[in-house]
Amino acid sequence: MASITTSSVSFHVPCSLKQNQVSNLKKVSLSFSGTSFPSLRLQPSRFRVACAAKPETVEKVCEIVRKQLALPADSAVSGESKFASLGADSLDTVEIVMGLEEEFGISVEEESAQTITTVQEAADMIENLKAKKA
Amino acid sequence: MSFLPNHEYSSITRFVKLGDQKRALVSRLLQYALVHQVLEIPFDEIIIRRTPEGKPYLVCDDMKLAFPNFNFNASHHGDFVAIASEPICLVGLDIVSHSVPKNETAHEFIQNFSSYFSSSEWYHIMHAGSSDEMLHIFYRYWCLKEAFVKAMGTGVGYKLDDVEFHHTNWNNIFVKVAGKELKDWKFWLLDLGQNHSVCIARGHPRTATTSYRTTLKRIEFDDKEYYNGFHLPNASFTFRTVEDLLQVIHGADRVPFDISTKCDVSEDEGSEGARFVQQ
Repeated sequence: MASITTSSVSFHVPCSLKQNQVSNLKKVSLSFSGTSFPSLRLQPSRFRVACAAKPETVEKVCEIVRKQLALPADSAVSGESKFASLGADSLDTVEIVMGLEEEFGISVEEESAQTITTVQEAADMIENLKAKKA
Repeated sequence: MSFLPNHEYSSITRFVKLGDQKRALVSRLLQYALVHQVLEIPFDEIIIRRTPEGKPYLVCDDMKLAFPNFNFNASHHGDFVAIASEPICLVGLDIVSHSVPKNETAHEFIQNFSSYFSSSEWYHIMHAGSSDEMLHIFYRYWCLKEAFVKAMGTGVGYKLDDVEFHHTNWNNIFVKVAGKELKDWKFWLLDLGQNHSVCIARGHPRTATTSYRTTLKRIEFDDKEYYNGFHLPNASFTFRTVEDLLQVIHGADRVPFDISTKCDVSEDEGSEGARFVQQ
């Protein structure tokens, strides 16, 4: 009788992300079991690998953004929302990042901070930084 | 919005807040009006695109010789929308509204941005005296940095604590980057209304970011040509209303534009009418 053993493997895949067409290399750690490959979710408008930040993280980011930009609680803010479209100027963006640093206990370098333009990007970055800390 | 080409609509409607939509709309109108007046290109032939970093530029094959490197920059914040253009040098423009922070003290608010300032700038801000003074100085330095970065077209991705502004009571402003003075850059800082500042930055085209450089006709100039462009007088701002602007667009009222011309639009967030200021 044949037996198949499955194993959990984690590896680093350099992903090339296009953010405002300045490419950044981000390391993504994926784990999978068995012989099937995980599917990479590609967003049609950008070449990026969505590292699937937890919904709670995205929601928390939305909350912080709403607060900073003084948007009503029921305003449409989601992963796709761009800070600028919600009314954020350069000062707001810095404050949003600081708010995220405090909330999630992470430290963001200026260069990374300035490449974040959407809620999803912020949430993904938070997950990456938290993972690195762990 | 009917005055603008269709492809611009989404760039305005993407803004959630009405005030932001209004500012974006007026900014677009200013851009088209400026190009029309200065370069005399018919409205329906004006093509304005954006670099990946978001900087708008004119797509034009046949640039007038008098303005070999026509480029412009617009900004909007608070009650104003402004635009400035240059025939040779790069131009950057930024307006800041000196808003008082709501949920924290001025000191707490400013602390958030400490890593974006050089130590001498930070010293200047921290030793300003009153909270109001601190805010004023903070916003002025921020405005200068923004105008500089916008002129180059890099968006906000730049190590701003290496960019250090020097001035004599906000005149004779120059910048040092990584300790070295940039002699081919000039800055002006003006007060606008009660609590707004506007900064104009003028600099050498070769300092533009890669993507923006491709939109410029010429990067290199001989010393004399550049000298002339660099030392053009800084025209003052002219204030115009949106009604004036629309008249310009209709061609009903041609107002002569200086080649280094600026327009401001002042606008009440709640009201339908708007005044705009143009220099």
